[in-house]
Amino acid sequence: MTTTMYADEVAPCPPRAGTLYDVLELILDRGMVIDVFVRVSLVGIEILKIDARIVIASVDTYLRFAEACNRLDLERDSGSTTIPELLGGRAAKSVGKRKVRKAAESVGDSVRKAVGGGDDENDDEEQEERPKKRRAPARDGASRRRHAEA
Amino acid sequence: MTESGVYVYAIIPEGGALPAGAVGVGSPPAALRLVGDGQVTAVVSDAPLQLRARRRDLMAHQELLLSLSDRGPVLPMRFGVVASDEASVCAQLAGSQAEHLATLRHLDRGVEINVKALPAQDALAAVVAEEKDVRRLREAVRRRPDYEANVRLGEAVATALSRRAAEAGKKLLHKLTPLARAVAAGPEVQGCALNVSFLVDRSESDAFRATARRFADAHRERAELRVAGPLPCYSFVSSRGLRPTVAGV
Repeated sequence: MTTTMYADEVAPCPPRAGTLYDVLELILDRGMVIDVFVRVSLVGIEILKIDARIVIASVDTYLRFAEACNRLDLERDSGSTTIPELLGGRAAKSVGKRKVRKAAESVGDSVRKAVGGGDDENDDEEQEERPKKRRAPARDGASRRRHAEA
Repeated sequence: MTESGVYVYAIIPEGGALPAGAVGVGSPPAALRLVGDGQVTAVVSDAPLQLRARRRDLMAHQELLLSLSDRGPVLPMRFGVVASDEASVCAQLAGSQAEHLATLRHLDRGVEINVKALPAQDALAAVVAEEKDVRRLREAVRRRPDYEANVRLGEAVATALSRRAAEAGKKLLHKLTPLARAVAAGPEVQGCALNVSFLVDRSESDAFRATARRFADAHRERAELRVAGPLPCYSFVSSRGLRPTVAGV
């Protein structure tokens, strides 16, 4: 599973700040806003997939969890087997229902896209390719908070 | 580049200097400068013509704020704040100087540490061992494999994972809150059982992180913890309340 560490990318900065994805919502949603200044539109940004955490309430997810759970061999050391491993590996291959397998693959793909990241050159294209989850451009609550300062 | 405006990164006390080699957003990276003639100074650059939240620019914003906050108190701006020109930045600084100074004092020697708790998806064995519902459904499915039963089993697993993470998150919050100067709930992040930022004395930040890490080790079958920081104090820029708005943002 790849995560993009600061230290690898740009600055001679220790990875103390965690990954960009770990703090992205703070950079975009916290910090000071001043009403008389404008703010860049955030339309088209897909916010925050924390690597492969996919806890979504959907039948597909449930079936994958069930599959992983059924494959657990509690007698042997199964603590090290992760759901992502099961999804990407043995489980996905051996699951009888083709539909489940397909779902697992496509989740894998979108996660890779979201976290694998690519380099800066591809960044714009990447973001345009996956405007799946749009974010409201106006951050009214926050600007109201700073109103008194403006 | 006057048309595109002035990108504002941060407000710092007067007399502050730019970190050596620091650059701004854009490609090629914009040159930074200081603006303001009162007791507070803004760190700005020309805004790129088409500013969007690219990874490159997010990183530039974050890196600059990190190095500024290593040198002293900083009011970090949210990503993407652009003023029409330098004069309007100066006017804003002059008009809100008292409030900016108060916030800077409030944040002095403080750093933000963000903690997230996520479901421990690699602890499935513990879920099966410790969650009666899951165990029961799993045994049922093994006896009679069936689509509906599998859905119910998976749902129980997902519910248990989230619940266990939320419980651990709550415990962690109780443990860490007394160690922090202030606490602020972070924006909601999908899949996160807890997303909280703590305002911590810089000198205490290692100890704080160590405490969080010990907790993470002791609860790894319930939650995966992500600790990020020391960060610029994004979540604590309001000088009015120690606990900024929690919900609805």
